[in-house]
Amino acid sequence: MVSAIIGRLSQAFLLLLVMSVIGFIGIHSVGNPVFNLVNAETATPEDIRRATVALGLDQPVWHQYFRFIGNVFTGNFGTSYIYHLPAFQLVMGKLPATLELAIVAMMIAAPAGVLLGLLAGRRKDKPVDRTILRLSVIALSIPSFWLSMMLILIGAILTGWFPSGGRGPTGVFLGTEWSFLTLDGLRQLTLPALALALPNVALIARLTRSGTIEVETQDFTRFCQAKGLSPRRILFRHTLPNISVPIVTIIGMQFGGMLAFAVVVESIFNWPGVGKLLIDSIQLLDRPVVMATLTFISIAFVALNALVDLFYVVLDPRTRRSA
Amino acid sequence: MKTDTMRIFWKRSGRSGVSLPLLILMAYVLLAVAASLIAPQNPYDPLQIYAWEASSSPGTAGSGGYTYLLGTDGLGRDIFSTVLYGLRISLFVAFTSTALAALIGVTAGVTAAYTGKWGDALIMRIVDLQLSLPTILVALIAIVTLGPGIDRIILALVIVQWATYARVTRGVAMSEAAKSYLDAARLLRLPTRRIIFRHLLPNSIAPAITLVPIELGHAVALEATLSFLGLGVPIDKPSLGSAVANGFQYLLTGQYWISLFPGLALFGLIASINFVGENVRRRLDPRSR
Amino acid sequence: MEQQHHHEPLLVVNNLTLKHQGAAATTTILRDVSLELRRGEILGLIGESGAGKSTLGNAVLGLLAPGFSQTGGRILFEGLALNELSDKQRMELRGRRISAIFQDHTASLDPLMSVGSQIVETIRALDDGLTSRQAKSRALELMQRVGIPDPALRFRHYPHQFSGGQRQRIVIAIALAGRPDIIVADEPTSALDATIQKQILALLRNLTDETGVSVMLVTHDMGVISEIADRVIVMRHGKVVEQGATSSILDMPAEVYTKDLLAAVPRLRLPPASSPTNDVPRSADPQANIVPQTKLDQNPILRVKDVTKTYAGRSFPWLRRGPQSPALRDVSIELVRGSITGIVGESGSGKSTIGRIVAGLETAGRGSLDLNGRQFDISLAGKKNGLLGQIQMIFQDPAMSLNPRMSIGAALEESVWFGSRGSPSDRQDVGEMMDCLGLPRSLLLSFPHQLSGGQKQRVCIARALLANPSIIVADEPTSALDVSVQADIVRLLKETVSERGVSMLFISHDLALVQDLCSEIYIFRDGVVEDAGSADFIFSKSQNPYTRRLIDARPGRFTH
Repeated sequence: MVSAIIGRLSQAFLLLLVMSVIGFIGIHSVGNPVFNLVNAETATPEDIRRATVALGLDQPVWHQYFRFIGNVFTGNFGTSYIYHLPAFQLVMGKLPATLELAIVAMMIAAPAGVLLGLLAGRRKDKPVDRTILRLSVIALSIPSFWLSMMLILIGAILTGWFPSGGRGPTGVFLGTEWSFLTLDGLRQLTLPALALALPNVALIARLTRSGTIEVETQDFTRFCQAKGLSPRRILFRHTLPNISVPIVTIIGMQFGGMLAFAVVVESIFNWPGVGKLLIDSIQLLDRPVVMATLTFISIAFVALNALVDLFYVVLDPRTRRSA
Repeated sequence: MKTDTMRIFWKRSGRSGVSLPLLILMAYVLLAVAASLIAPQNPYDPLQIYAWEASSSPGTAGSGGYTYLLGTDGLGRDIFSTVLYGLRISLFVAFTSTALAALIGVTAGVTAAYTGKWGDALIMRIVDLQLSLPTILVALIAIVTLGPGIDRIILALVIVQWATYARVTRGVAMSEAAKSYLDAARLLRLPTRRIIFRHLLPNSIAPAITLVPIELGHAVALEATLSFLGLGVPIDKPSLGSAVANGFQYLLTGQYWISLFPGLALFGLIASINFVGENVRRRLDPRSR
Repeated sequence: MEQQHHHEPLLVVNNLTLKHQGAAATTTILRDVSLELRRGEILGLIGESGAGKSTLGNAVLGLLAPGFSQTGGRILFEGLALNELSDKQRMELRGRRISAIFQDHTASLDPLMSVGSQIVETIRALDDGLTSRQAKSRALELMQRVGIPDPALRFRHYPHQFSGGQRQRIVIAIALAGRPDIIVADEPTSALDATIQKQILALLRNLTDETGVSVMLVTHDMGVISEIADRVIVMRHGKVVEQGATSSILDMPAEVYTKDLLAAVPRLRLPPASSPTNDVPRSADPQANIVPQTKLDQNPILRVKDVTKTYAGRSFPWLRRGPQSPALRDVSIELVRGSITGIVGESGSGKSTIGRIVAGLETAGRGSLDLNGRQFDISLAGKKNGLLGQIQMIFQDPAMSLNPRMSIGAALEESVWFGSRGSPSDRQDVGEMMDCLGLPRSLLLSFPHQLSGGQKQRVCIARALLANPSIIVADEPTSALDVSVQADIVRLLKETVSERGVSMLFISHDLALVQDLCSEIYIFRDGVVEDAGSADFIFSKSQNPYTRRLIDARPGRFTH
């Protein structure tokens, strides 16, 4: 078990390292951010040189990278070229909005997906199963950006039930602003959360379905029948606990996926979260913010994966002690 | 070389007839190939575009002597033509990237499984890292690094997709490599290339084949998403994704058709690919039956 | 209720016909099967795969898989027609009256629940009146009864913390929890090693005698039948071939098929006077036990000395799990030219590993190998030191030994190409080889899945021979085959060695088979050579307790 944790951590560390290198090089190869500070047409060479030094861009690439790494450990990603605020602070400021969106979406997607998946799995090859499978393929075929736009078209423009974008009024809780505390905020949240949830309902349903089928075909369910347990007891005491292991993994991974897809949904709904910040920063060549955002998303991912693994250990005795 | 997998595939589709999704997909491909013949307008040619007819609603008669069946976009381009031309780009990007990714991924997976040792460890470590991140994130990082352009977006999609093929193929190849027919081949001192490509590959490729349609659907969707975000194909030659993006600002003012129709076309395309993929998977994977 | 109702039938099956509705066609699995199960007896159902014996067991349990349907006949349990009962009534019978033991002990238990809870839940499901304390004490009693040491501690453990034999004991405890009248035991010992198998069978016999439960024992292994069954029913293709008391079936089979089944089982021939007990002290030095009876050939074709191998982690040594145990320790073997030498051991004894090292498929940490007077450095990969290809192998599972995507002809041509690399005159003819091994030439265009198991194994022998090896390593070449085919393959291997002058290393878990074939025998245990000598020495004179135990573990009736 100790070796498993060490393996887990070393992989997590590698992941972060590779992410930071790729991200850093990536950002480096896109445009010259100096021209965000000075006007490209009127600037003198001296202006450009001064701006370059100010941004630390006169140093060799590896030097910039190591400075960046050093800064990551101190939470200092530099100052945004555009907003003139510490990049990390900027990301953290946008975080609650994204988290709130993802959590609400997951609260819609997880119960719906698990329920549909269980239903399909336990009625394998029956009409219910086929219908759920077909609907899931359709749901997964809708590009999320178009789904968002269609939700705006139907839910906002044609019916006027919900606002088409923005975050609207927020309530303060634990020193942070949250939308779900006000009724208007909830209305603002509905469409983007639905857009994020729908593909995940389909995905979770499919994975839950295959997990259910996998568990039900195992011999111990047959042995449980043979030893005289009632179908109810087999379902609740044996099948569901065994299915819960893959389901927890699925939900954990999908939560990560939601954070990533928030990039798309947030830019369409003009939702002021981390995803929108990332896209805006890429387009504005705001290197420190892009770096901070990517690093943050990676860390969130690594943490999530580790959390999922931890759950796994709690749920499955086989991973608890090495036999 | 006709493998068993292929035989099963053909026999089955022969018996049950060609499925509806496959027909639709074939129609899409045909429309894309023949786009310049069918489309009343070449949306890339400024001389054929009448800017004063921008944002015309569907059914409006145009100055070019044809009706704007699906309306025009904000620049006056015929939506129907834009969809056809965009379809061509979307499909070209998706097919090319999927084929390349499958080729690279399968070769990497089989080679890693057979040679083992540090080469295997290195390849699989990269694959693990990549697959532990959501594809959209990997795609974003790749495209930001590579910059814009059709060739770049193909490369980005290959980077996103190869890992899936590599992992799936390696998994099967590992269990195939443990079978004794491979030991027998080694005992005959066959050249490594022959062992890999004649013995291991044909027996490890089935899961990769079932993956192709699924990944093709992903590729279309990813390209569209990147293009929508303005990070994909150039704006002057819109794919379906950028065509939808072009209509976004007009959506709020009620000119829904500019983004509705390209989006519908895109949805239909991805759905038909996904249903074909689902059928292929069901036919080839005995457990899911 | 000891034995008093011994002759009253508890379960009667009358003209049972069962069909399976597949995707392509409907097949008849059972045809007009009739039988009786009496109180307190062990009834053996024997047959090869496809005989329908497991389906019959499932029908008695009322647990037929979807697609199966009973189309004729009845199953009567104490006069009650089982197929006329509702699902609920059948459920109430299960566990309380009719219980089961399945083959796969790993899959029979819920991996997420402690074994104690699994026993308790069964007890409480079957007897509502018990308090949890009473149920627990009964569970501990059951664990004790089936031979789990220290039940109070083991109660809280999870299935993965038990060995295979212990898990099967737990499964038996659960099957006994409801004090059933009948236990359907479907291949209860097939997944276990011979010595463990013997213990589990003894436990089953014991429980039957003490509790009066009737056991319907489904198996493909005549040895298991001879060990514990009172009566036998021989099945083939869904029909009953023959039935009767075990002793009469074994001694005087009436049907040809039964005779074939029996003839195919290798028998140990033991000299009458030798049955040393297990309490002979085991020598501290395993090598000291080796007392070769015949002076070995001074110039053996193969001499392997002091081979030691430790399995190392693959790529990241610091991620390795569990302690390492050496796969082989100081193993030395010799192979006399033109003879067959046997290597015997249970799974995990390292017997296959030494075969693979000899063939150059695996490296060893230490040791030397001398083939035909030529030294090979076996710490190097077989391809580097030139060992690979000198020796050919025949593998256990013929279904996995042939490339499924390559025609038989193409596979054999590869071998010819390799065998003739030295000189074109060595080029052998594929067709002639096929004739020699009794394979029709028309198979050359076929693919492996179109061949039977026996044919596949013949092709594997052909492939090995076409490569012109001086030695063939045969790793359990018959254990994946149906018994009726095994004898043919053994005879073929014998002929091959005597007619072609090849030498053979024969690896097996089956002592009887080895006795039949081999002149010299090495007994492997936990990676060391435990005992060695001529076949005669091993079977009649060796005092090594482990050797004795292996010989004793052979099902009783076949050791005369």
